[in-house]
Amino acid sequence: MSEAPLLSVRAVDAGYGHVDVLENVSLDVGDRKIVALVGRNGAGKSTLLRTISGLIRPRRGQIAFAGANLAGARPDAIVGAGLLHVAEGRRLFRRQTVDDNLELGRYGLRLTQAEHARRIERIHALFPILREKRGLHAGSLSGGQQQMLAIAQAMMRAPKLLMLDEPSLGLAPVLVDQVLDAIASLRAEGVAILLVEQMVERALEIADDAYVLQNGRIIASGPAREIAAGDALRAAYMGEHGAAARA
Amino acid sequence: MDLDTLAHGLVAGSLYALVAVSFNILYRPSNVFNFAQGELVMVGAMTFASAMSVAGMPWIVAFAATLALVGMICLVEERIAVAPILKRAQTGTAWVITTLAVSLIISNLVGRIWGPDPILVKPPEPLSMDSLNVAGVRISSYEVALVICTVALVAMVERAYQTLQGKAVMAVAEDREAALMRGIDPGRLGRWSFFIGGAFAGMTGVVAAPILYASTSLGPDLLLKGFAAAAVGSIGNNRGALIAGYIIGLTEAFGAALLSPGYQEAVIFLVVLGVLLLRPEGLFGRPSARTV
Amino acid sequence: MGPRFVARIPTLAQFAFLAAALALPLFVGADSYALFVVTQLGIYILAAIGLNLLSGYAGQVSLGHAAFIAIGAYSVALLTVDRHWPFWAAAVVGMALSAGLGIVAALPSFRLNTWYFAFITLAFALVFEKMIVEWRWLTKGFAGVVGVPAPSLFGHDFGPRALYYLVAASALAGFLLVRNIVRSRFGRAFVAVRDVEPAALAVGASPQRVKLLAFVIAAAFAGAAGAFFAVQKTVVTPDDFTADFSIFFLLTIVLGGLGTLWGPVVGALVFFLIPELLAGLASWRMLIYGCLLLALMLFAPHGLVGAMRQGWRRIARRSPAAPMAAREVSHPPIAGLSLEIAGLRKRFGGVLALDGVDFTAPAGACCAIVGPNGSGKTTLLNLASGYYPADAGTVKIGGAETRGLAAQRIAARGVGRTFQTPRLVNELTAVENVMLGAYRRERSGFIATALRLPSARAEAKRLRAEALAYLAFVGVADRADLEAGEAPHGQQRLIEIARAMMGGARLILLDEPAAGLSMSELERLEQLIVRIRDLGATIVIVEHHLDLVANIAGHVMVLDRGVVLASGAPADVFRNEAVMRAYMGERALKGGAPA
Repeated sequence: MSEAPLLSVRAVDAGYGHVDVLENVSLDVGDRKIVALVGRNGAGKSTLLRTISGLIRPRRGQIAFAGANLAGARPDAIVGAGLLHVAEGRRLFRRQTVDDNLELGRYGLRLTQAEHARRIERIHALFPILREKRGLHAGSLSGGQQQMLAIAQAMMRAPKLLMLDEPSLGLAPVLVDQVLDAIASLRAEGVAILLVEQMVERALEIADDAYVLQNGRIIASGPAREIAAGDALRAAYMGEHGAAARA
Repeated sequence: MDLDTLAHGLVAGSLYALVAVSFNILYRPSNVFNFAQGELVMVGAMTFASAMSVAGMPWIVAFAATLALVGMICLVEERIAVAPILKRAQTGTAWVITTLAVSLIISNLVGRIWGPDPILVKPPEPLSMDSLNVAGVRISSYEVALVICTVALVAMVERAYQTLQGKAVMAVAEDREAALMRGIDPGRLGRWSFFIGGAFAGMTGVVAAPILYASTSLGPDLLLKGFAAAAVGSIGNNRGALIAGYIIGLTEAFGAALLSPGYQEAVIFLVVLGVLLLRPEGLFGRPSARTV
Repeated sequence: MGPRFVARIPTLAQFAFLAAALALPLFVGADSYALFVVTQLGIYILAAIGLNLLSGYAGQVSLGHAAFIAIGAYSVALLTVDRHWPFWAAAVVGMALSAGLGIVAALPSFRLNTWYFAFITLAFALVFEKMIVEWRWLTKGFAGVVGVPAPSLFGHDFGPRALYYLVAASALAGFLLVRNIVRSRFGRAFVAVRDVEPAALAVGASPQRVKLLAFVIAAAFAGAAGAFFAVQKTVVTPDDFTADFSIFFLLTIVLGGLGTLWGPVVGALVFFLIPELLAGLASWRMLIYGCLLLALMLFAPHGLVGAMRQGWRRIARRSPAAPMAAREVSHPPIAGLSLEIAGLRKRFGGVLALDGVDFTAPAGACCAIVGPNGSGKTTLLNLASGYYPADAGTVKIGGAETRGLAAQRIAARGVGRTFQTPRLVNELTAVENVMLGAYRRERSGFIATALRLPSARAEAKRLRAEALAYLAFVGVADRADLEAGEAPHGQQRLIEIARAMMGGARLILLDEPAAGLSMSELERLEQLIVRIRDLGATIVIVEHHLDLVANIAGHVMVLDRGVVLASGAPADVFRNEAVMRAYMGERALKGGAPA
C-alpha cells in the first residue's frame, strides 16, 4: 500500500498548559478502515483525538488529512475538511431538540433542501427512534438514543473520517452491539473510523488496525487481530488480573 | 391605582426591556455582560439626534446609519477589549474591567464631541409626543407605538434564534467546545452577536431619544436598569427580560409616585436584591447545574 | 555585586521605602501642601490594600468602592460634628457600618457568577450617591458636613504631622494584616475560590463565606480610609464620592498589580508621582483612566509589580532553595468513617446514571468501585460528597444522614476527595496546595492569623512541615515550592491525594487516582493508599487498574449502567462472568479467548 493514508499523524507531542500528555505519537488511518485506539483511562486517547480535531494545538509533529496539513488548523476548518469528532459523553446540545441537533450537524454546509431531506431520511432509516423523538430535547433521550443522535449528527455531514470517543459509554450490551454494527456499516459506506472504545475486544473485532497507547506513547500497533492476541494490550489495559480472569 | 403612572411605567419598562435584550444578544455566545452597553445606547441616541437635527437626514436613513455605527463600535469593542481576554482564559472576569474601561472611553469621548445639553428629538411622522387621552390615561401616540414595537421586537429576536445561525448561537452558549466539534466557529458568531447586540443598543437609543431626550448622561442609568431587567428576567432569557423590564419600569414609576423621585433607583435596587436573594437565577431561569 | 546582595535588593527597597515614609515629615512643613498630599496618599493606600485583597486575591471586582469610603467618612463627620463623639469611636462605627451595609447589598451576589458582584457594587454606589443627596436631613445634602474636628488623644489634638503618622501607621498595619492573611489558610482559600471552586469545596471552605470574609475586610478598610478622609479634609460632601472615585481605586490596584502584595502601594505611588501630568489634563482624566485600564488589562494583567517581578526573575535567577528537610511525621491513627448508601438514584435528563445503588464501606475498610466508563462510578462519588443532589436514596456518613448537605459541609465532616482531573490551585505552590487541605483543621482564628500571634505562627510552621512530609511521601518533595500548575499530570494527582490526607479526612474518596500515572508513581500510590488504610481511614476508590484494586481493596463493587452487577472480595468478583461481560461485551465472551 504505497498510497498516502487518509489521516497521518507523525511524531506529535501535545498537552494542556504545562502538562505534557502525548509524546511522539504517530498513527495512520487508511481510507475506509476502522482503526481502534486502545489503552487505559488516562493514557491520552481523548487527548490524541482532541489534538487531531484541532481543540488542542500540537506542540510538535505533523497531522495530514486527505493530503492537507491540519496541525494547528482551526477546528471548524478541520470539520470542513471532512474529519469529525464525536466526543466522549456525546456532548449533544441537550437543551435543543433532536431535529435541531441534526440540523446543527450540517452547520456551514451548503445543502439543497432535497439533499438535506435525503440525509435526514437515511438517518431515520438507520435510527428510527430519532424520527419518533424528533421534537424532544436531546437531554431527555436515553444514553443509547443520545449516542445514536451523536453519530447521526456527524453523518449529516457525510464525513470522510469519523473519530468516535467511547461510543459504548453507559450503554446496555444490546445497544453496544447496535452502535458497533452501525459503525461497521458506516465503513461499508466509505467512512473511515478512528475508534476509542473501552470494550477493547469488541472494538478489535470490528477494527482493521489497532494502536495501544500507554502513558501518552504508542507501545504497540498493527493489524487488530494481532494486537488482540498480543501481550502488550493486556498488560497495558487490564493488568494481570484481567488476563488471569480470562484464563 | 393611578393609570398615568401605569402608562409611564410601561413606557420606561419597554426601554429597559430593550436594553436587557441587547445585553442578552451579546451574552448568549460569549458569556460576557457588556458594561459599556449603557454608553452604546447613549451613542445611539446622540448619533441619531445629530443625524436628524444637524445633518437633516430623513428618519429612516438616520436610523440605519445609527444602527450601523453603534454596531461597528460594539464590534470594535469585541475585537479590542473582549476577544483577547477570552482568548487568555475562557472563564474569569477580566472582561468586567475591560468593558468598563471601554464604557469610560466612550462616555468621555462622546462628552467631548457633544456638549452636556440634551437634544430634543421628534418622533417620526405621523407619531407625536402630544398627549392623547385614551380612556382616561394620558399617553402619546409615540409611546403607544413604542410599547407595541418593543413586544414585536422581542418576538422578532426570539424568532431569529429559530434559524440555523440562531440555533448555532444557542449551541455555543450551551457547550462552546461541542459547537467547535460540529464545525461552528464561536468566534465568528461572537463577532456577529456583538455587532447585532450593539446595533440593537443603538436602536434602543433611537427609540428612547424622543422620550428621554438625547443626552450624554443617559448611559449609567440605562446600564443599571437594563441590568436590573436582565437579572430579574434571568440572564439570557429574552421573554423574561421583556416581562422584567415592565416589572422594573412599573416599580420605578410607582416608587417615584408613592415615595419621592429621589427613591427611584433605591427601590429598583431593593427589588433586584430581593429577587436575587430568593431566586438567584432570576424569575424565569433554571438553576444551573454545577459540574465537576 | 555578589548574588546574595542582588537577592536582597527587593527587601532593601522595601525598607528604604518605609524609612523614607517615616522621615518625610521632617523635611516638609507641617502646613505644607506636600504633607497634605502624602497624608492623602496614605489614606488611598489603605483603601487600595483592602480592595486588592477583595478584587485581586478573592477575585471579586468591586466597582463601587467609593461608597464604602463614603460611609466611613460620613459616619465620622456626622458623629463628631453633630453628636460630638470622639474620632476613635466614630471611626469604628464607620468601619462597622461600611462592612454591614456592604454585606446586605452584596450577599445575594455571592451565590452567583462573579460579575454580578461587580454590577451590584456599581449599583450600590450609584444608589448611595443619590441617597446622600436625598437624605438632606441627615447628610446636609450638597452642602456637606463642615468642620470635622481632628482626632485627639488624652486631650491632645492631632496636628497635620501627627495625623500623617497616624495614617502611615494605619496603612502599614493594614499592609501587614493583609500580608498575614494572604499567607494564611484564608489567603489560600481566597485564591482557591477565585480560581478552582471545586478545590475550595473539597477542603471544606464555603465559597460564599470566603467571599464574604474578603468583602468584610475590604469594606472595613474602606471605612477606616473614609474616617481619615473626613478628618483630613475636614469637609465631607457628596461630590467627593462619585463613580470616578471608585474607578480611581480600581485603576490603582490594576496599575500596581492585581493580587500582588505591593500592587496597591506601587499603584497609588505612581498615581501621585505623576500628578502634574494629570493636573494639566484634568478634563481628559477619565479618558486616560479608561485607556490605561484597558491597556493594562490587555498587556500587563499583573500590573507594575508583576512586570517588575518578571524582570527581577530574569536578573536574579535564584538557585532554588534547598527543600526543607521533610521529617517523617508519625501520623496518629485515623478513626475511619463508614459510608452507607442505600437506594441511591440519579437521573440526568433522559439518562439514568444511578438506579437504586446500595453500597457500604465499613469504617476503616478500603472498598473499590469498578465498572466500565459511563457506569455511574463518578456520579456515585459526586452524590456521596455532595457535589450533585441525589434524586432518591440515603447517604449516611459515620452513621449520620448527609444527603442534601452542601459539599463543603460534607467535607467538613471528614470526607476528603480527589477528582478525575486534578483540581489544584495552579498559582499556589505544591506545598501551599497541600496546606490548603488543612483549611478546616487549622485552629487559629482569623484574629490570631491576621495578627500573626505566636500560636498561629507555630501552627502554620507545624502544618508546613506536615505538608512537606506528605509531599515527600508521595514523592514530589522536590516540587514543594514550585507552582502546582507546572507539575506533570501524575504528580498533580499525587499532590491532590496529599491534600486530601492533609485535611485529616476519615473517609477518602479517590476518583481514578491511577489514571495517567507512570509505573513508579503507581507503586508509590499503592504504598500511600495502603498506609492511609492502615492508619484506619475508610477509603473508597474508583479505579480501572484492577491490579491496584486487587492489591489494596478488601471489597469490590462492580457498577454497570447505574446498577450493582456484583460485589464481594476482589478475587471472586474478577472471576465473575457478568463482570467480564460488562467490560468486554457479550460477543467477546461467547467467542472465547482469542489465541
